[in-house]
Amino acid sequence: MDRSDHDRQPHPREDEHEFAEERESLWRITLGPTIWAFHFAISYAAVSVYCFRFERMFEMGWLRAGLIAMTLAMLVAIAWIGWRAFLRWDVRGTGEFSNPEGSAEDRHQFLGHAGFLLALVSFIGVVYDTLPLILLGSCR
Amino acid sequence: MTPTPRPARPRYRHALWLAPLLLAACEGRQSALVPAGEDARILGDLFWVMLIGAVLLWIGMNGLFYWATRRSPAPHSQTLANWLVIIGGILFPTVTLGALLVYGLSIMPDLRATGDGPVIRVTGEQWWWRVEYERADGTTVTTANEIRLPAGVRSTFLLDSKKVIHSFWVPSLGGKMDMFPGRVTEMTLGPERPGIYRGQCAEFCGESHAWMAFEAEVMEPEDFDAWLEAEAADAMPPEGDLAQRGAALFLAQGCGACHAVRGTPAVGRVGPDLTHVGSRHSLAAGRLGTSAEDFVRWVANPGAWKPGAEMPAYAHLSDAQLAAIAAYLEGLE
Repeated sequence: MDRSDHDRQPHPREDEHEFAEERESLWRITLGPTIWAFHFAISYAAVSVYCFRFERMFEMGWLRAGLIAMTLAMLVAIAWIGWRAFLRWDVRGTGEFSNPEGSAEDRHQFLGHAGFLLALVSFIGVVYDTLPLILLGSCR
Repeated sequence: MTPTPRPARPRYRHALWLAPLLLAACEGRQSALVPAGEDARILGDLFWVMLIGAVLLWIGMNGLFYWATRRSPAPHSQTLANWLVIIGGILFPTVTLGALLVYGLSIMPDLRATGDGPVIRVTGEQWWWRVEYERADGTTVTTANEIRLPAGVRSTFLLDSKKVIHSFWVPSLGGKMDMFPGRVTEMTLGPERPGIYRGQCAEFCGESHAWMAFEAEVMEPEDFDAWLEAEAADAMPPEGDLAQRGAALFLAQGCGACHAVRGTPAVGRVGPDLTHVGSRHSLAAGRLGTSAEDFVRWVANPGAWKPGAEMPAYAHLSDAQLAAIAAYLEGLE
């Protein structure tokens, strides 16, 4: 390794710390889409199983109410994740949209940006998933 | 070799203005754009909404291209670009797709409404349609290649197939539904306007797929009831010498091994039921008419009209014999 390069790293501990933080937010940006995926799988599986097996046993209204309550909780969670990501992006503070530098701070803000957009897409996805539940009240 | 001269500019460019005349082809008894039933009307509306929406979007996008490349080609401000992405890239598609989703979901229950009219079992064969009306008393009325429906009620179709996948479609009355061997699919249609429409197999099913059509007649309910009553009855005995000779020939030639003519010894189930074939609007699943000449043509050489048809040719029969069989079949009303 080039000696001069080596000399340019005065705070190795700080880098490590930042890296750990970044790794954590890398996980965090997947949270929105993960909730969306679970919402999709749970909603469709529940309605399929209900229509296949339990249609005659109880009214669909209960299932719908339960799934819509789950949807609301998931939307709140996604909104919270999105808000946290938006704060990390800090576009209002820096005025910087695309964070092209590649510095630790830029990466941090970029992950916030990506997390925010993924949360937005997930929010819309969950709303779209739920429309059939609201508009179609039966198994037909 | 001399270079070929460049062709002159076509002079018939102005003929393009006549292209809208092609839209006249959208008329007719097999057009999804001229609905004769509830379902076709819903689907027709869906088509127009999508078409008009797509045209507006196309004009809007091309307007933007024009604006960005011709009217205002200089770089735009960051703020404008950001808002363009936020409104044009996120807000507009989200709202538009959401609205289309709501619209699409709102019409689904209508298209899947349960039937309150007759239950008709249709089985796709290569290349014709076996049609069985299930009556309230538990009996079945078998016919083929023609479907009659009462106007104003929803009929239920139980669709099945013998060997390959077919698709049941009467564009004037509604959407299509695939027919799978060994699996019954269900659809309902609510015809509104009496008339004779045309159905067509809409899934490639072999060499005569294109000739696998049928007539769908929508009738006033009381006419339908009377027709079904008549259809349930046995075949009329042949009238006149020629038809009587034809009936004897029909049995002697073994036609009854494949075809049923109820009330006679012919009870085959391989081919279409011919009990009332003379009263149908078409022969061989929409391939020919039902005149005596059409029957002669068909019986003499079915493969000429429907390549791959299982029915053998009866070209060895004399003209007189063919005429007798045709007279018999034509009289089966």
